[in-house]
Amino acid sequence: MTTSPEPSGLGGGSAAQRPGPADGTQRPLRVVVVDDHAMFRTGVKAEIGRSLAVVGEAEDVDRAVRVVLEQRPDVVLLDVHLPGGGGVEVLRRVHEREPEQRFLALSVSDAAEDVIGVIRGGARGYVTKSISGPELVDAVRRVAEGDAVFSPRLAGFVLDAFSGAIDVAAVDEDLDRLSVREREVMRLIARGYAYKEVAKELFISIKTVETHVSSVLRKLQLSNRHQLTRWATDRRLV
Amino acid sequence: MTTLEPGRAPGVTPDRAPGGPRGGEPVQAGLPALPPAPTPGAPGPADLAGPPRRRAVRVSEGAVLGGVCTGLAQYFGWPVLVVRIVFVGLAIAQLFGVLAYGALWLLMPAASTVDAPGLEAATRTGMRTGGRPRRRSVDWGAVLALAALGTGMLWLVQTSGLGVSQRLFWPVAFACVGAALVWRQADSSAQQRWRAEAGGRVWLAPLVARGGWPALVRVIVGLGLVGASFGLVVAQYNQLAQLPQVLAMTLLALAGIAVVIAPWLHRSRAALNEARAEKVRADARADMAAHLHDSVLQTLAMIQKQSEDPRAVAQLARRQERELRGWLYADDVPEASLKAALTAAAAEVEDERGVPVELVVVGDCDTSDAVQALVRAAREAMVNAAKHSGADKIDVYAEVTETLVEVFVRDRGAGFDLDAVADDRHGVRGSILNRMARHGGRASVRSQPGDGTEVRLEVTR
Repeated sequence: MTTSPEPSGLGGGSAAQRPGPADGTQRPLRVVVVDDHAMFRTGVKAEIGRSLAVVGEAEDVDRAVRVVLEQRPDVVLLDVHLPGGGGVEVLRRVHEREPEQRFLALSVSDAAEDVIGVIRGGARGYVTKSISGPELVDAVRRVAEGDAVFSPRLAGFVLDAFSGAIDVAAVDEDLDRLSVREREVMRLIARGYAYKEVAKELFISIKTVETHVSSVLRKLQLSNRHQLTRWATDRRLV
Repeated sequence: MTTLEPGRAPGVTPDRAPGGPRGGEPVQAGLPALPPAPTPGAPGPADLAGPPRRRAVRVSEGAVLGGVCTGLAQYFGWPVLVVRIVFVGLAIAQLFGVLAYGALWLLMPAASTVDAPGLEAATRTGMRTGGRPRRRSVDWGAVLALAALGTGMLWLVQTSGLGVSQRLFWPVAFACVGAALVWRQADSSAQQRWRAEAGGRVWLAPLVARGGWPALVRVIVGLGLVGASFGLVVAQYNQLAQLPQVLAMTLLALAGIAVVIAPWLHRSRAALNEARAEKVRADARADMAAHLHDSVLQTLAMIQKQSEDPRAVAQLARRQERELRGWLYADDVPEASLKAALTAAAAEVEDERGVPVELVVVGDCDTSDAVQALVRAAREAMVNAAKHSGADKIDVYAEVTETLVEVFVRDRGAGFDLDAVADDRHGVRGSILNRMARHGGRASVRSQPGDGTEVRLEVTR
């Protein structure tokens, strides 16, 4: 784990100075769990409760927004499908008030449009619910530090979405293409490599891997071609 | 759109049988011989009905007016712009294009898209936002160009004296625009849903629909235009002085008709609301059926029977999860594709060996001989990893580019020293390396004791 004092957030510049996640002390990270299945919430709490502090939970959009704004946790574990408009709605409403709040999406749905949708909505990562406890703790820590968490599946979606299939005419070059390095990193993640292994494979530092992944996340969120969402939708009809 | 009521089924979506897809594919109880792994998303009952007849449908996405041109273009495989130009051109010839467009608008059914049931249910219950893509923003440049082209040609024809007589031209033009406005309102997506419920009474749509004020404005302007054209005809054929009387008479007649049909209109609206409520209930039942699908119940029963064998229970749960996930959320994968073949292979290995296989596929292609060999080699690599590595999961990544198909099979298990493997060990050499070489592909194995193994396979397309 790196200890960057100032996690590089997306927009930056929020006036409210809340205690940074990596301020040196051993205080456990504060997490809010948002999921409409009580059984799942209990399970997650049992799994991560030893290393993280679960400071709140919610089962629908309204409660989630309230609890998150009240608690200001380091990371929100957010289900994609929720009563009241889904995780995307929670992201939208919380980010209106608190643009720096970090979210990690957690879902059973592997539908591409949901995954892309929630990432574009502002989540800093996406993992499936079958993830093991230690892996989840690790992912939360990464998100709290301002990095992105890409599962192999998400990396696959990204490679698909940014492949040549989308016409590249009349799009913003910088935002709409992956650099060679970013593509390499994505491919290794899709092959099941952890960040550490990616770094070793490409002879770069873990920090550089994280930078590449964050930059891909940024492209995924900011690239404003509607083709990206259209891709996710069309893919289901082909 | 699964409808559970045979009685009042509107009959617009015959592609899903009641009871949900994959009804006829329960998990076989307690047998070691496992049922063939289902390809995710392939709806079972659709196979029984034979290949669906292809028919032209109106496509609302990217439509300028009613989606007729887009639909025809997709049906014939022509560029949309060409079809649009043809229609604009035909419109000049005694308004033939306009009539043809109107007729096709009425005759061609609107395209209906069907999501996976899990996604439909989630959209319906508000668990996710934006099930449908928004109507794409209209390409105003093209519209403007077409309009300019049409106007120019129209002007040319009219001045050459070959066109519609001047007396009729403006009334007809007004009436067309007005009718188009009202029809388009009748067509908008909100109405499309309940039009299915109402059994296709298109005509009532703009009058009884709840669509907010833009809808109201559109309908009023449309009706106004039609009225204006009527007024113009009257004004031209009679003296202008008589217009107020004629209008008054017409209004009186319309009012009379309105009084007569008012109860009927009211009843239709009530029936419509009833139908809507009924549909909601039916959908709720269908959603429930989706959750308590046969196979889940079967698996639960099997888990109860085998509860003393934790390995079998985990395996059952894993298989059920995969099947359910595939059914609820997966995309439609063509059967003879690399993706389907790899999915099936991964599922087999998972079931036989009890080790989860994480599969990610980027791009897809048909299964040629070489690709089939690739899939078999990949399967062998997965089996090896599951058998010997001791890893708790296997990552499989496949990527299809324009020239190359690559598959990586990776585990974080024990690993081995490749040079130390005896030549007679069939697994790696025979099944993987040699097989790939025979089919003009390449294979390489990277492994170190204690550091896992990665097998890389590739063939050129």
